[in-house]
Amino acid sequence: MLEIRNMTKTYNPGTVTELKLFQGFDLTVPDGQFISIVGSNGSGKTSLLNILCGSIPLDSGDVLIDGKSIRRQKDFQRYASIGRVYQNPSLGTCPSLTMLENLSLADNKGKKFGLGFGVNKKRVDFYRDQLSGLGLGLEDKLDVKMGSLSGGQRQAVALLMATMTPLKFLILDEHTAALDPKTAETIMALTGKVVKEKNLTALMVTHNLRYALEYGDRLLMLDRGKIVVDKAGEEKAAMTADQILTTFGQLSMQ
Amino acid sequence: MKNVKKYLCGVLSLGMALSLCACGGGETGGETGGETAGEIPVIGISQYGQHGSLDNCREGFLQGLEQAGLVEGTDYTIDYQNASFDDNMAIQIAQAFSAEDAALMVGIATPSATACYAAAEDKDIPVIFTAITDPVGAKLDSGNITGTSDVLPVEGQLQLIRALQPEADTIGIVYTTSEPNSVYSVGIYEELAADYGFTIEAVGVTAQSEVTQAVDTLIAKEVDCLSNLTDNNVVGVLGSILEKTNEAGIPVYGSEIEQVKLGCVAGAGLDYVQLGIQTGLMAAKVLTGEATCQDLPYEVIENYALYVNGAALASLNLELPADLAETAEEVGQ
Amino acid sequence: MTDLIASTLTQGFIYALLSYGVYITYSVLDFPDLTVDSSFPLGAAVTAVLLLRGVDPWLTLVCAAAAGALAGLCTGLIHVKLGVRDLLAGIITMTALSSINLLIAGSNLTIERAVDTIFVSAPVMAVLGGLTLTGRKLVVALVLALVVKLVLDLYFRTKSGLLLRAVGDNATLVTTLAKNKGNMKILGVVISNALVALCGGVLCQEQRSYSAVMGIGQVVFGLATVIIGVSLIRFFAGSRVSCRMGKIPVLRFLASPKGTTAVLLGSILYKFCIQIAISVGLPANMLKFITAVLFLLVLVAAGRKGEEIIHA
Repeated sequence: MLEIRNMTKTYNPGTVTELKLFQGFDLTVPDGQFISIVGSNGSGKTSLLNILCGSIPLDSGDVLIDGKSIRRQKDFQRYASIGRVYQNPSLGTCPSLTMLENLSLADNKGKKFGLGFGVNKKRVDFYRDQLSGLGLGLEDKLDVKMGSLSGGQRQAVALLMATMTPLKFLILDEHTAALDPKTAETIMALTGKVVKEKNLTALMVTHNLRYALEYGDRLLMLDRGKIVVDKAGEEKAAMTADQILTTFGQLSMQ
Repeated sequence: MKNVKKYLCGVLSLGMALSLCACGGGETGGETGGETAGEIPVIGISQYGQHGSLDNCREGFLQGLEQAGLVEGTDYTIDYQNASFDDNMAIQIAQAFSAEDAALMVGIATPSATACYAAAEDKDIPVIFTAITDPVGAKLDSGNITGTSDVLPVEGQLQLIRALQPEADTIGIVYTTSEPNSVYSVGIYEELAADYGFTIEAVGVTAQSEVTQAVDTLIAKEVDCLSNLTDNNVVGVLGSILEKTNEAGIPVYGSEIEQVKLGCVAGAGLDYVQLGIQTGLMAAKVLTGEATCQDLPYEVIENYALYVNGAALASLNLELPADLAETAEEVGQ
Repeated sequence: MTDLIASTLTQGFIYALLSYGVYITYSVLDFPDLTVDSSFPLGAAVTAVLLLRGVDPWLTLVCAAAAGALAGLCTGLIHVKLGVRDLLAGIITMTALSSINLLIAGSNLTIERAVDTIFVSAPVMAVLGGLTLTGRKLVVALVLALVVKLVLDLYFRTKSGLLLRAVGDNATLVTTLAKNKGNMKILGVVISNALVALCGGVLCQEQRSYSAVMGIGQVVFGLATVIIGVSLIRFFAGSRVSCRMGKIPVLRFLASPKGTTAVLLGSILYKFCIQIAISVGLPANMLKFITAVLFLLVLVAAGRKGEEIIHA
């Protein structure tokens, strides 16, 4: 279970651009829940993810996993149980390494990076298998440098890499926003499949309302650091894109 | 744009090919030259960089060979190279000398001399050096190498300062800590200063940009005068040093004629042409087989000249004693 | 002529060690490291002092590399742990080291011919005793350059090596792999400066001299060789010759050369450019200008402007 308790975060404190984003923010995510998070720009979606992952420090409050505070853990320590896919496809892979080298890196997550050979030949078949599951014809391109693949292909591999080793949380940061609609569909379908198969706890930030409704079992709408809509289960299933848009409209009127 | 690149590629390959040809051509030229002219020995001169004193050394060296009765073109030919103050260039120049089987290598200034000595090892080519202050410290005093030292006439300088400033107590010196010649010379100053009733305030710098700050420090310490070494970093900014010291009313003594010309009040300096001649005479002995480097210990020049700059003296109200006025050479404008 | 080619190649091979080091920081890690200008003479200083104390010449090289590693560690720690910018971290170590170098070995030292260097050490004489000193220097330098290259190539294929390459390529990914990217950067700078100091040590033995100012401009030389080498290789890799070679199994490994091969060639090419300029008898004061023009031509011809050198 992931808990955020009484979190506060102020950007540029004491200056004219001071922004009090979170003031006593609380959130509890039970294991295995897939949450879609929507909200306008500046509502705090990405800040929330960055605070969870430790790339931004919080001012006060606490973040707990299974009741234990991870506030003092550094970002790279937290990633031991977190996988993350970014909006920018090039952040999820190394462009000048081959796909095989990239997958080998991801496969070794959680183990020692010593002087053993980086690429384990015995795992190649497994990688091929995983890649063919993507249905993008990538299984024949193991020796191709990541940088020469398209954004969609890279994002698919990034998703595969983020979820290759056992993990608890999957953080999806607008991970389909930079892709064309068709590729975005493919990646979303893959995401849904992986989360279900591995029974992951997932937080997905998205601007695509359809995805927010279609995927996941809980929907949050953030506005200026506050949760303004929080629907789960049947309540969520009953929601429509129009309702969300109306709420959006009301918020921006205020 | 593509065409431009194609064109450039062409030019580049052509250039490379040409330079290789030139290189090869140089080789064949060298060989045939060797055949037609018989056994004219080549003297490779590696000078560390273009600099008044070093240029004078080279000129003197050539004069020395002539004075020994040798004629260029029949008794020897010269291959002169200049390393532009780049140690790596000095290494490659020395290797080129070794490759063309030079009969003798001449290194002007320490980096060129050590590079020549390293390149000469394989074929045991004799090396003659000049413009090295401390050949013992540089361990160039034994083996198939000899030459002349340009150790400063510190005693003469101290006498000169005493004559011009009978009341003076402290002499300020700015020097570069990584320049072996300077470190050695400061040592000599400190050793001899007490004999003439002086104390030395020496400030070390690591770069030229720190020199004027060091001068400020010395002025603040109220030194009675500054005395220069042949430190390139210091001499390079002599103009701005003089601006500061003139304002503070502190005389600066030079160590070379050029420094006195630039505005130092006076100086006891080496005649680098003379040093070069002495070196040339030694080289001639080695070249003709009259002696080997092992037979010839390195030499120090005993004579020095006194230079004065009347205008600079006058502006600081210093008077030149009559006996000095006779021997010293006026070099001011 | 043969002698000249041999000694120029020797310089190229020796300096390749420095180029590998600069390649790791600049090209693999994307870390502009200025420590080089001081870790190079540091290696020479340590080597010179130990040689004069009668230490085995090969052992002095190990010590030189260790000293260089320590210098790299300083730069790495200053950057990663104290949060000082990479460029500035290098400048700080470089500045401090120039004093350390003076403390270790003074402003210059010469190694007398009576002192054995690696080129006249017993194992080398046993194998290469029949060669001239020039020949031995060439072979020893060649072997050193190739062995270090192969070890580096192997290292880049290990898990640690992959992670090191990943840090320069995409540091974010390394963090999401739950690895401290700072530690990897430190490791890279350590390896790099160990190689640079090793180069200084070998050059000190080859030249039988150390000077406190011998490091001036070495980082520029290193960058130049890395960029020239990598540009030429990229140009070659995109050519028809490379394409044809890729189809012949025996030659396939030549078709897409490694970064280390590139900088090795870059270093040799650079030394040859200078030697050609000297041999042709260009005015000495113009040598640097000619080198700069040559450098520019290589870059433009290879279609790169040096800002985008991709790793290994």
